Amino acid sequence: MTGVPSGADNAGGREAVKSAPTSGRSVQIAFASAFAILLITGALAYHSMGVSSQSSHWVEHSYEVSSSLDNMMLAMTSVDADTRGFVLTGDETYLDSWRSGVSDLERYAVIVRRITSDNPNQQTHLQTIDRLIAERIHVAEGIIALRRTQGLDAAAQALRTGETQRIVTDFQQILQTMHTEEAGLLVGRTTIAKWRLRQTKIALIVGTALGLLITAVAGVGAVRNGTKRRAAEAARRDSEDQYRTLLDEVHDYAILMLDVTGRVMTWNSSAARIKGYDAEQIIGENFSCFFPHEDIERGRPEEILRIARENGRHEEQSMRLRKDGSQFAASITYTALKDATGKPRGFSEITRDLSETKESGAKFRGLLEAAPDAMIVVNERGEIVLVNLQAEKQFGYHRDELLGKMVNSIVPRGFAERLVADGLRSAEDALAQQIGTGIELTAKRKDGSEFPIEIMLSPLRSTEGVLVTAAIRDISVRKDAEKHMVQMENKYRGLLEAAPDAMVVVNDAGKIVLLNLQAETAFGYRRDELLGQGMSNIVPAGFPERLVADSLRSAEDALAQQIGTGIELTARRKDGSEFPIEMMLSPLASPDGVLVTAAIRDITARKRSEAQLLEKVEELNRSNEELQQFAYIASHDLQEPLRMVASYTALLARRYKGKLDSDADDFIAFAVDGASRMQLLIQDLLAYSRVGLKGKELVHTSSEDALRQATRNLRGAIEGSGALVTHDQLPSVMADEMQLTQLFQNLVGNAIKYRRAEVPRIHITAEPNDAYKWMFSVRDNGLGIESQYFERIFGVFQRLHKREEFDGTGIGLAICKKIVERHGGTISVESILDEGSTFRFPLTVCSGQS
Amino acid sequence: MLLDVLLVEDNPGDVRLTRETLRDANKSIRLHLAADGVEAMAFLRRESPNALAPRPVLILLDLNLPKMDGREVLAAVKADIDLKTIPIVILTTSDADSDITRSYQLQANCYLTKPVRLEEFETLVQSVNDFWLTKVKLPNVPNT
Repeated sequence: MTGVPSGADNAGGREAVKSAPTSGRSVQIAFASAFAILLITGALAYHSMGVSSQSSHWVEHSYEVSSSLDNMMLAMTSVDADTRGFVLTGDETYLDSWRSGVSDLERYAVIVRRITSDNPNQQTHLQTIDRLIAERIHVAEGIIALRRTQGLDAAAQALRTGETQRIVTDFQQILQTMHTEEAGLLVGRTTIAKWRLRQTKIALIVGTALGLLITAVAGVGAVRNGTKRRAAEAARRDSEDQYRTLLDEVHDYAILMLDVTGRVMTWNSSAARIKGYDAEQIIGENFSCFFPHEDIERGRPEEILRIARENGRHEEQSMRLRKDGSQFAASITYTALKDATGKPRGFSEITRDLSETKESGAKFRGLLEAAPDAMIVVNERGEIVLVNLQAEKQFGYHRDELLGKMVNSIVPRGFAERLVADGLRSAEDALAQQIGTGIELTAKRKDGSEFPIEIMLSPLRSTEGVLVTAAIRDISVRKDAEKHMVQMENKYRGLLEAAPDAMVVVNDAGKIVLLNLQAETAFGYRRDELLGQGMSNIVPAGFPERLVADSLRSAEDALAQQIGTGIELTARRKDGSEFPIEMMLSPLASPDGVLVTAAIRDITARKRSEAQLLEKVEELNRSNEELQQFAYIASHDLQEPLRMVASYTALLARRYKGKLDSDADDFIAFAVDGASRMQLLIQDLLAYSRVGLKGKELVHTSSEDALRQATRNLRGAIEGSGALVTHDQLPSVMADEMQLTQLFQNLVGNAIKYRRAEVPRIHITAEPNDAYKWMFSVRDNGLGIESQYFERIFGVFQRLHKREEFDGTGIGLAICKKIVERHGGTISVESILDEGSTFRFPLTVCSGQS
Repeated sequence: MLLDVLLVEDNPGDVRLTRETLRDANKSIRLHLAADGVEAMAFLRRESPNALAPRPVLILLDLNLPKMDGREVLAAVKADIDLKTIPIVILTTSDADSDITRSYQLQANCYLTKPVRLEEFETLVQSVNDFWLTKVKLPNVPNT
């Protein structure tokens, strides 16, 4: 409490100190009395003003009444004149004028009634006036009707009756009475006003004198009260300390006063520190020097003063200029100051340096400006208190046009609801929410155009109450993209519908999200019954496995896979019936995750035909087998009776030859011959049927060995004919060795048997036909075969020669054909008559051998 | 001394042919006949009405017989401790491998296929006589 002098304190503070030289009670009373007197004086002055204005009001009122009365009289005269005009000329234009006169008359009556509503006398007069107007109109209408129906004379006669004249006269008289009444009132009121003003003047003079007297007395009292001065000084210092402490508390604020034009009147140390000007440099300068250049150009300083004057107060967060030209973000409050009479005295400006006061504030601001989205901060009243550059750009407003604006002028709908909804959440929830998941609203630019936005709000508790930070993202582009997606989806749907197979699109939860008409038909469900349902409803088993398997593959693999190679599953219709399907899946990345398109083909028909085919093949196999069995059994069992015939005819011939007549001997000879031929046929048939029935497995076989065995078997024939059988080197092949031997034996045997006169030459070769086959050739220089018999010679029991020329049943080549076929090939012949024949047949290369 | 041979054969034509050729081959053969397997077993076991039937020195057995076929007769004889020493010659029309294999598995002593031609059949029967009824030594079993 040492009372440090207050060097650079504001002037207001110093004045307050000087005006209280003593702390004496009498002084307090004196000043209170002086103040009271001044108040009374002020009230009186105000009252006198009221009286004066009241008096002028009455004058105006009286004038208005009398002018309305005059207008009414004019309208009445005009109605009268128009009536006459019509009666005399019959011209309808008079009637138009007449009607407007009538309506004027009624209108002025209403006005007069309204403005004299405080005067009962005048109201009584008005009733008479209303009656007269009604009469006048009635009479005039009667005359007008008369003029129309009975002509000029009758109407003129009616005019002359004096009835109309009487009404007009009465009308004039009553108006005159009202004029007089109003004038009387005016005189009375003016007199009262003058008297009151006179009284007020007296009161003012007396009051002022009294005030001066009391002040003088108080001044004398104060001088006399010197002993109490020290105590008062201590009290003053005490209060000064408190004030200084208060100022220290507001260290962060530049506090200054402006006059009505914006000139700086006072300056504090914080102002000097924040803005960089000394008090002597800045006092008297206009506060516009604190504004950036572009704001000055826009007339912003003047605008701020106007707003503050009109609203009493203006707050903004905006950029300000220091003395050194650097800019800083500031929160500024302007408050309009008025003197006791309400006259503007100036403004107080409190500036807080946002960039300096808090490091985090600066970071926050930096963050705000750097954000890719438009960011606005809104206070509890819904006013925008902070914006970033993006917000300015997006909405097309200048920063300080946005500041203080209600948020619903840029986000017309939904923001308040969002605010409530978000306000209910905890800050953690709000922070956890991604901007991408914000709801979609419509925003409005300064030029009135609208655009879609996504908005995310996050509440922020501050000293100024709850502030809400809104991140606003322009999603026009994304919306367009979504629209595009919808179009794509429509195209996709079109494709789906055009597909011949049932198509179902399933999301990663296994739910059906899309299907085509074919799918509805195939499964017997309506579309809405299947949408959202699990795939297992229509494909009970195997689909999830398929899904997993297919997901593991790349999209290319999936696309490469043909529908025909899809796996087979069982599908179930709505009615519970099942049918076989083939399914092919293909993954499709979409904004909603991976969708899987399943192409489903009902393969009932194919399965049936497959089954039928299988059945046919089995049947054929069975019938073939039966046939072979039949041929074998038949030839085998035929042997028994044949043996009886052959044996007993032989016995017969032996015992009775020459003992019966010559015919009997011939008959017995035919029977014996038939029996032995029959025997050959059956044996050959048996051999033929054995090719299929008794065939061995095909194994690695040396074809050279087989040929050697065949020539050994044919040794008798070869030696007998002197035939030359030669061969090239022959390969190993897949064959049944016995059958291959028989094949060579039959072919070489035939070549010897059907030889010409020259020495039979037979040559066997083998050449690679392709990677899997050897082509064997057996060439001879025999009789040759005419080309028309090339096919026929391979038939069972087909012969080209008479029995007398060559024996044999004609089974040899049939057996060859069957053997080659059993080895997977076809035998063919090329031949020229009298030159020789070449038989060709393929055999399979042994595996591991080329 | 008469040689008792049992022919098990259902075909009368074959019976006659075999009888004729055997008689031409060896006059001392006494041929007994069974038309099916059941008769054959009854003869061998001297069941009624064959109580006095002799024990044959050779059985000529056809495979395809009514009631009880040749394979069953073969199996039954070779399973019988007293009868199993009698040689059995299978004489049949079948030349199926399965029949041949099966017969030897059942311990047939010889498998012959009847030739179609009369001369061949006569040759075959003569060779049976020459071998089985002439050259072969058989165990001496008292003919009870």
